[in-house]
Amino acid sequence: MRQKMDYFTFIVAGIRNKPGRNLATIFCFAFIAANIFSGQFLIAGAAGGIDRGVTRMGADHLVVPSQYMVFLRGAGPDNTIAIVMAEPSNYRMKATILEKIGTVPGVSAMSPQLYVSTLNLPELSPAPVDIYGIDPETDFTVRPWLQKPLDNPLKPGEVMVGHVVSGEVSTRISVGDQTYTIAGRLDPTRSSIDHTIFLRLDDAYALAATKGIVPPSSPRITPGDVNAVLIRDSTGEDQDVVGTRIKRSFSSSPDYKYVSVIGRHFTLDPVAEDIQAIPALLSLISAFVVIIALPLIALIAVMVAHERQREIGLLKSMGAKRKIVFFLVIFESLVLAAFGGIAGVGVSLFVLFLMNAQGVLNSALQVSFHMPPLMEIGSMAGLALLVVMGIGSVASLWPAYQSSMMNPYDAIRLDW
Amino acid sequence: MIESKGVTKSFSTTSSDVLAVNDVNLEVKPGEFVLILGRSGSGKSTLLAMLAGLISPTAGVVRIHGTEIGNLSEDKTAEMRAKEIGFVFQFSGLIPTITALENVMLPTLFCPDGPGSRSRAVELLRKVGLSERADAYPGTLSSGEMKRVAIARALINGPPILIADEPTGDLDVDTEIEIMELFKALNREGTTIVMVTHNPDLTPYATRIYGMVKGKLVTNPESFCFRTWKAEPGTPVDTD
Repeated sequence: MRQKMDYFTFIVAGIRNKPGRNLATIFCFAFIAANIFSGQFLIAGAAGGIDRGVTRMGADHLVVPSQYMVFLRGAGPDNTIAIVMAEPSNYRMKATILEKIGTVPGVSAMSPQLYVSTLNLPELSPAPVDIYGIDPETDFTVRPWLQKPLDNPLKPGEVMVGHVVSGEVSTRISVGDQTYTIAGRLDPTRSSIDHTIFLRLDDAYALAATKGIVPPSSPRITPGDVNAVLIRDSTGEDQDVVGTRIKRSFSSSPDYKYVSVIGRHFTLDPVAEDIQAIPALLSLISAFVVIIALPLIALIAVMVAHERQREIGLLKSMGAKRKIVFFLVIFESLVLAAFGGIAGVGVSLFVLFLMNAQGVLNSALQVSFHMPPLMEIGSMAGLALLVVMGIGSVASLWPAYQSSMMNPYDAIRLDW
Repeated sequence: MIESKGVTKSFSTTSSDVLAVNDVNLEVKPGEFVLILGRSGSGKSTLLAMLAGLISPTAGVVRIHGTEIGNLSEDKTAEMRAKEIGFVFQFSGLIPTITALENVMLPTLFCPDGPGSRSRAVELLRKVGLSERADAYPGTLSSGEMKRVAIARALINGPPILIADEPTGDLDVDTEIEIMELFKALNREGTTIVMVTHNPDLTPYATRIYGMVKGKLVTNPESFCFRTWKAEPGTPVDTD
């Protein structure tokens, strides 16, 4: 049992003395902390989503037939968001090109893709559905987008579907007269990948052979055809150097004279602009909240100090030194700020977790939200707490000074 | 123990200067129970505040244990208040959100190396007859009980001097007697008490009595009338 009174008990007693007003102050601090914390949390989560997206946007190069102008899926004005799959095209080349690419130093992975067709499948998607064939054994661009990793590579008769395509995992969908089992669903990409069905290359050839799938005006798809080969460089390799090597390997071969190598020239501009707008808005709101809250809290602190003049006089008559009175007022504000900060962070964390679980953050931010790691959440919470405690101490500086300078005799003689 | 020499205090107002205390010479010896009687506005509370180092005199000196408090720094004066002086005011000044026991322990915050402790607080509450109410909150205590808690609080750091500013001013007669009996007991145990009051009925409890009239300390209390407050210092006794 404590033998002496401690400051914390006294400060909490002071706070409990005016519960209504102090709750309002705590609410102010909580609001600021929640604002700061959720701002950081959303930014970090969105950035995490982007980072995850970067790892998903695996290809560094795209090898395509030279005939067609390539537009990369999801591209903004620079056509360069990422290479997950090539733009639908009926220009094809033979998959044997993979053997050639495989000999190029600096290439760590390569995977072919085949665009089959774009179909109106209203039962599956409001937008036309693109059908792509991929090699599940070598694919490194589509698989990372899966909401849940597959236990095994895609088996015959299985498909992966974009975010917009209807159907749960393990249910069956029909494309033409073929039926497939959904093995996995992809996270939202904000691109036409969202309404794409990916199936195995052999299934793609089989589907392409089905009547009504490939338009009669398009060249027939024959086994071994591919539209593009997606290439990932080895870690540490210079993208341009590897790209040049790939081009050079084709230049000496008449079979691949009409093949182009496109580098990623990777930027995240379109997404980044959206994401950057969010922190800017949140920072603006936070700044506004702080600007409004600081004088409000300062005013409350002045009121508190004024109301407690007699109490402060009493403390001084008991032997409280100026600096003790000064720090008591500051600490009381800090305790209120800490309570408010913890409450604000706690509530916002709970709400954000809940929103994330419901997928609300994904749709609100229009990116794949990635929960920040615990350590990062901890530092964000710490920062929010530091900021509100900073506000609390700044707001109470003047009343603390006034209280410390108060003459105890004058204070005691006030009517209570 | 407490000594004032030529202590004067004047306050400036917008219209004029008010002489609250005028050239007061007082010496309180250890173990005394000094009662200063005076009507409202006579300057007795101001004198008490100067004796305790809460305010500085305009002129004159105050010494406690031979130390001139006017020469002490703000912090040293605060230390002296924490260790040497216990205050009891007309208002009890208890913190409503902590228990009676915690209220008694409150001054230990400012005198960490003093004798004040929880066990001493319990003992003091027992001494003031409130051992059963140690865990009670001030809101549940009567005026007399609150005053007794305030007295226990004033004594927690073991001060040799107890200064009381109209401690019974707002109490009924029975409670007033209880409190005064308590003061008397404390004085018998060695606590030096300086108390101001406007109630002449309390004089029997004191070992020395002074009067305060218009800022002047009157050394012969028989020389003025407490009932009518008409007399000036030095006038013949006119008791009714």
